[in-house]
Order: sequence, then structure tokens, then C-alpha cells
Amino acid sequence: MTNNPFPLPKDDLLQAYRTMRTIREFEERLHVEFAKGDIPGFVHLYAGEEACATGIMMHLSDIDRIASTHRGHGHCIAKGVDVHAMMAEIYGKVTGSCRGKGGSMHIADLSKGMMGANGILGAGAPLICGAALAAKFRGDGGVGITFFGDGASNQGTVLESMNLAAIWNLPVIFVVENNGYAESTSVEYATGVDSYVDRAAGFGLPGVTVDGTDFFAVHEAAGEIIRRAREGGGPALLECKMVRFFGHFEGDAQTYKAKGENDANRASRDCLTLFANRVTAAGVIGDAELRVIDREVAALIDDAVASAKGAPLPHAGELTTDVYVSY
Amino acid sequence: MTPKIGIIANPVSARDIRRVVASASSIQIADRANIVLRTLAALAACGIDDVVMMPERGGVGSHVVRGIERSRNQGEERFPRLSFLPIPVTGTVEDTRRAAAAMAAAGDVAVIVVLGGDGTHRAVAGACGSVPIAGISTGTNNAFPEHREPTITGLAAGLAATGRVPPAVAFADNKVIEVRIDGGPPDIALVDAAIVTDRFVGARALWRTETFRELYVTFADPEVIGMAAIAGLVETVGRDEPGGLALTLAPADTAARRVRAPIAPGLIGTIGIDSWRRLPAGTPVTPALPAGAVALDGERELFFDPHQTVTVTLIDRAFRTVDTAAVMRFAARHGLLLDRQP
Repeated sequence: MTNNPFPLPKDDLLQAYRTMRTIREFEERLHVEFAKGDIPGFVHLYAGEEACATGIMMHLSDIDRIASTHRGHGHCIAKGVDVHAMMAEIYGKVTGSCRGKGGSMHIADLSKGMMGANGILGAGAPLICGAALAAKFRGDGGVGITFFGDGASNQGTVLESMNLAAIWNLPVIFVVENNGYAESTSVEYATGVDSYVDRAAGFGLPGVTVDGTDFFAVHEAAGEIIRRAREGGGPALLECKMVRFFGHFEGDAQTYKAKGENDANRASRDCLTLFANRVTAAGVIGDAELRVIDREVAALIDDAVASAKGAPLPHAGELTTDVYVSY
Repeated sequence: MTPKIGIIANPVSARDIRRVVASASSIQIADRANIVLRTLAALAACGIDDVVMMPERGGVGSHVVRGIERSRNQGEERFPRLSFLPIPVTGTVEDTRRAAAAMAAAGDVAVIVVLGGDGTHRAVAGACGSVPIAGISTGTNNAFPEHREPTITGLAAGLAATGRVPPAVAFADNKVIEVRIDGGPPDIALVDAAIVTDRFVGARALWRTETFRELYVTFADPEVIGMAAIAGLVETVGRDEPGGLALTLAPADTAARRVRAPIAPGLIGTIGIDSWRRLPAGTPVTPALPAGAVALDGERELFFDPHQTVTVTLIDRAFRTVDTAAVMRFAARHGLLLDRQP
């Protein structure tokens, strides 16, 4: 083995691959399982976008909060939410991380700082401002990350939150996951100025655009932005340009995409392949080591699906449990 | 029929991590559009009737069209006719290369006005052939394009393109550094090629000085920002001098000398320097570092492994630019913008 030329030790590189592979396997399996009709509600898959969640979340700990989107499985996994509890949640089972009442679009695990996926576009941004304000008051060095898409970036809640974060100098990072489509509407059509860095500049926030399919680009930029926020530098925006391999939701016919677009993206912009090629070419990680992770992750997801399918549904008497909170 | 002017305005320059690790500025789309409008007004004042622009999705072109229509609705004729190249838009640097090549191939484009940083200008220079570039800096590290009000650049481009200033005065030759890996097709740098220990492209920009090992520059100017500033603070080499400079760098705590240089806007780094020497044109040089990345004009672009061979070659007279200062001095001396009352 040669010297490691990457900005992460080998163990962290292996963990990055394991996280991205877990997200991919989780989503690919859901793609298959959802078609069988056993999963309630909608699912929105994160396959293709793994480098973004992973590259950012490797800089975080449980004290840091994230607010996710309706495409939240990848954020959960990268933030450390238990995969068995996630799968059970998506199946609506009582062993799920929200005892089966959140499902895919409201999955959360506050113990891991994961404040929830969200069915409302752009709703995570004001939530994360509250979490970041709390962290600032506590002085614990925690940061808040809100993810949103190119579509949600046009929501007033997101823009208002940028202003709020700016005036209160909150440790918030606004992450635009720009996969080119707001549901089925192209970013070219729906966005007046398609540079999200410009939006940030309007509120006095620095913004950075990176190739969201390059784990190292995301990791490097996110590291600097998060460090800046922890040190009191205030909010910033990170735009990750990426691709999603599946439709907006499972069952989406994707007629708005060009013929062969998904295949072309899988061939040339697959963040897992790009990462694997880079670390193996540099001689830091052997191909066999990655295949071991692949097998372990596949077994993990097999077991999570089997456990979720075998778990009981919540009892009707739990309907209002955990819904209302007394102060 | 007057010659055409091409405009390539990069909508996404100045978006990288130097907004966070340094205090680099970010020129917004509306500002870029206004720069194009000011340039167009200057071109029209020089008698340019037709301008062709690179299409993009960032919004620069649509803002420019809006500005022209508004002016026409007020009965003004301040701007030339504007059209867009019929090329596909990918949202990548490929658009810039394709636009430059198309403008060069058209045969009637006399000058290409470029809005961007060193990276954008590099992409144009690699594809524009013998068509001269008039550069306007809207990037981060703008060592190559001079800092100047775009209206003046537009006037100079127009005076040069229409032949009112002779080519010998209007156009200047420029050097490039060619970098090849295993004898493959060359990549070029307009200002500097740096060899760094990183072996990942990552966020592209250079700011961790401890990774710097070798530096090759086409010119060394103590007034510029970026890697070329390191060279410029050691020994100056002019843009119009033959040859460049090659430096061997090292971590600051082990090097023979240290220089404090502005490697990015607002970021003064301490860089160790072991040695430097003049870099003659046409002689390939092989870096000593066995594996790492090559940063072209301040951005990590290529990486190489121990089994690969990197060659660095400085090329004189590689492409031409409009010498704005020379054109405006000539215009003043010969009264080109001075009209007598009848």
C-alpha cells in the first residue's frame, strides 16, 4: 500500500464507502419492495445523491441537527439512524424509529440529531434555524444543516430562513441538493437565476458550488463551511450539483427526462463508482475490501427488510401517542 | 460589413470554496449581465453591428436580452444586434470550449470578449485559435485578465476589431504552459501550473500551502493574486518576456526561504521556497514529485500516480489578446474617438 494521499485516514474512507453503499442498497431495495405493494404511502429515493449526505455528515456528531427533505433516507443513514428502525418505519411497523407513524416522509430520530424528513417543501429551513439558535444559546458548538432541493429553494420559507440565519448569525448551513428537477420541472424553467450562490449573496451569506457526485469535493467544502459555522462565522450555503437515478417518487414515469438520461448518469456520474475508482487507483483501498463491505451491507439490508416485514403494526390505541407534547 | 464580436460570459465563475476559506467576492448574475451590457454599448459606439454570444442557463443572456429590449422600447439604439450561438448547453466548461471553437470556426468573429476568471480564459484560449481575446475579470483569482472597467475593454475590442488600431499595436502574444500526462493531449495553464501533493480534485481551489511542491509560471507579477504571486514576489517575469519561471516549493518549516504571498483574495499564505530558475520556452520539464495533482491556474485539475510521467512545457506566442492599454493610448494619440464639428 502506498501513502494515503486523501484528506481522510483509511478507516474514514472505508466508512464513507460503507455509508454510501448502505444508502444505495437501501434505496435500490426499496425500489424493488415498493413495487410489491407492501409499503404504505410514497417513497422518494436518494440513489445517485449519496456523496452529498455522506460528505457532509462525516463532519457532524449527534449534537448537530439536520432537517431533511421528503427524500430523506440518505440523510438518515448518513446521520447514523439505525437501518433496521428505518426500514421498519417505512413499512409502518411498531419497531420503526417513529413507531411506524412517520413513514418515509416523516421519518426522524432526535437522538441522532435527525429532526425529520418533511412532506412540506422548504419546511426544514425554519426548523433548523430554531435548532441552531438553541445550539448558539447553549454554546455547545453544534451546527444545523438543512437540506432542500432546487425546487424548494424557490419557497419563501427558505429565503426567510436565510435572512433569519443572517441577522442572528446562526450556525446554519443551507444545502441545496440540485438534481436538476423540481419533481418533474427542470431547474432551467423554474428558477429565475439558477445560481443558488446568488441567492445566498442576497442575504450576505457566502455560498459555494461543488460537484455533488464527488465525495471529496463535498467533504472538503462542507468541512470548511461547518468549521466556519462552529467558530461563529455564521451561516453559509453549499450547492451540490447532483443526479438522481430514480424518479421523483416511486412510480414516476420520468417522461420529463431525456431518453437514456438515467443510464448515462449511472455510467458516468455514479458517486460510488467515482469514489471506488479513485481510492483503488491510489492503492489506498483494495477492491476486495470494498466487495466485503458490499456483501455486509447487502446482508444488513436483507435482514432489515425481513425484520420489518415480520414486525407488528402499531396498535390502534397508539394513535395519538407521541403526537401531542405537554410543556 | 463590420466584423462580429463574440462574447463568452461564464455564469458560474467565482463560486468555489474561496468564498469561505478566504474572503473572495461573488459577482452575481445581474452584475455579469450589466457588464455585458456596458461592453455592448462600447462596441456599438465603435461601429460594431453584430455580436454573437455563448448560450448558457445561468441567466446572463436573458438579463442582457431584457436590457436590450428595454432600451429599444425607449427608442434608443445603444446596442448592437445580439444573437446566440446554436450550440447545446451542458452547464459545464465544455460550453465555453465549444463556443470558442465555434466562434473561431465562423471566420467572421474578430475578437472574443470573455467574462470569467483565469479558468474561463484558459478554456477559451485552448479553443479560440488565432482569434484574440479581450478579457474581463469576473472570477476569483484573476491573474490573467486585467482589472479594468468593462466599458473600456469593450471600446478597445471594438477599435481593434474594426481595424482602426493596427493589429501590431492592438494585439499581444501570450504564453501558455502545456501539461501532458504520459504524452497524452495537453492541458494548458495561462498563468501557473502547480504541482501539489493532493491526489484528489475535491473542491478544486488551492489554499493549503503545505501541499505546494513545484510551480511553473508564464509570467511572475508581484501585483497579481494566486499562485503566480508566489513567483512574482521572488523574481518578476513580464507577460511579454520570453520564457517563464520554475520554482521548487516545500513546507514552510523546512524550506530554505519563505515568502508571504496573496494566494487567494484576502488570504496571505506562507510558502516555503527551496529554489527557482528561469523556464525556457519549448523545453519539457518533468516534475520531481512522483504522485500528486496538477493545479492549472489555481485549480486542481489533473492527478497523477507514480507510474505516470508528467511533462511541463512553456510555449511562447500561444494565443493573442487585445492589448487594451495600447489600443486606448493609440486611440487617444490618433484622435480615434475625437470628432470635429462640421
